[in-house]
Amino acid sequence: MSGSAPWTTDRNSSQVEAYRTMLSETSRCDTFEQLALPLFPSLYNHAFWLTHDQAEAEDLVQETFSKALGAFDSFQPGTNFKAWTIRILRNTFLTTRTGLAASRTVFLEDHPEKLDTPGGSTPEDNLIRLDNLAALHIALEQLPPQLREVLLLCDVDEIKYKDIALILDVPIGTVMSRVSRARRTLRQLLQPQLGESL
Amino acid sequence: MNEKPQITEHLNSYTLNAFIDGELSPTERQGAEQHLATCHACALRVLSATQLKAATARAGHRFAPPAEALGRFAAQLRSQSQLQTNPLPQTSPQPQTKTPARLYSIRPAAWAALAAAILLTISLLSWRQLHQTNTLAAELLDQHLAILSSAATPQVISSDRHTVKPWFQGRLPFSFNLPDTAALPSDTILKGADLTYLNGQPAALLLFTIHKHQVSIFLMQRSTNSTLSTLSGARAGFTIHTAITPDLRIVAVSDVNPSELDNLLAVLVQIQKPA
Ligand SMILES: [Zn+2]
Repeated sequence: MSGSAPWTTDRNSSQVEAYRTMLSETSRCDTFEQLALPLFPSLYNHAFWLTHDQAEAEDLVQETFSKALGAFDSFQPGTNFKAWTIRILRNTFLTTRTGLAASRTVFLEDHPEKLDTPGGSTPEDNLIRLDNLAALHIALEQLPPQLREVLLLCDVDEIKYKDIALILDVPIGTVMSRVSRARRTLRQLLQPQLGESL
Repeated sequence: MNEKPQITEHLNSYTLNAFIDGELSPTERQGAEQHLATCHACALRVLSATQLKAATARAGHRFAPPAEALGRFAAQLRSQSQLQTNPLPQTSPQPQTKTPARLYSIRPAAWAALAAAILLTISLLSWRQLHQTNTLAAELLDQHLAILSSAATPQVISSDRHTVKPWFQGRLPFSFNLPDTAALPSDTILKGADLTYLNGQPAALLLFTIHKHQVSIFLMQRSTNSTLSTLSGARAGFTIHTAITPDLRIVAVSDVNPSELDNLLAVLVQIQKPA
């Protein structure tokens, strides 16, 4: 699970720099802490979206870091530590009872999407109002987990397609297809909620 | 994504999404931008998709860990670190037994990182609140910055009010007047115009320069229940000033001297008055 995947460089290069310089001083654990602790809020948010439970989310993050620390030697400096950690978190979740249940009920097939050009609904009609956070929360909850997941990685955690592909263990084309499908579905889900303003 | 986008064709959904996610190669991006400069429909799709992405990002940052969880977590991590430092390090991950949360000595480095994590949480929270209460100001600033950062040309490139004004007819549910070049304050130049959306409403975006400073002027219909009434102030070095006429709300965004921004606003307000 830790893998030695070619994670692409994170924009958090200062953390990676810190990693490089400190590793030579053999303070591996200190380095790990410095990389890991700032990720806690972000990983907790991600874990909560997966588990929908505070205690489970905390346990999941704790177990993730436990595993990540154990596998830290296999992490390649200069690659995306956050993506590497999210992959461990996700795999850990999928082996839990909740995760196994979720993965059974969920997943749509990845049909290659037909490339749609504009037409049908006009963009003017589809424009989203930005201020309705509650509506967006509801829509995100209703989104199939597989599609919600890709939007959390792409829009919320700002991870590049290449690294999302590594996290999800799918080809990059599948990431693109899911991003596209996720946004279209999100729009459809928002339509009845926002009504006129959409 | 591997194919060169054809400029004459509308952006497909993959290209559009990759465009707003910053995933296109420079060549692909250039092709997309060329198309967007001439295609009104695709430009609106990009605008709409960008807004959805920003809204998703805000909505997705939903769950913050309880403050005490950070402490517990740091302690647990610390204890595990100490366990792993002493025995021979293992190269493959082993199933870890869960250490009960107890009081462990946390070294200064860990405390510093923990403090940083807590600070990060707090700053994210306040940033989000700021964003929610003042989404529109952020939206205005985003649009102004987009104009500054991209070399994208406006849909109408003209300093001539007789070209700019008719272009908006039929595209906006309201009309407005534009001053003569001679009536503008000194060194103030109309560069062009765009159709845009603000707060879900169609708006005209006029691009001016004052002494080479970019100025974005948004004109929208004045509605009774508008949330825009108090929208003025400074943000990140930019001034946002609002003026109203009986029919219109005019918002100016720029980093130019505020008094010069007001001069331009005054001229625009004046010209809206029926002759
Ligand atoms: Zn087009």
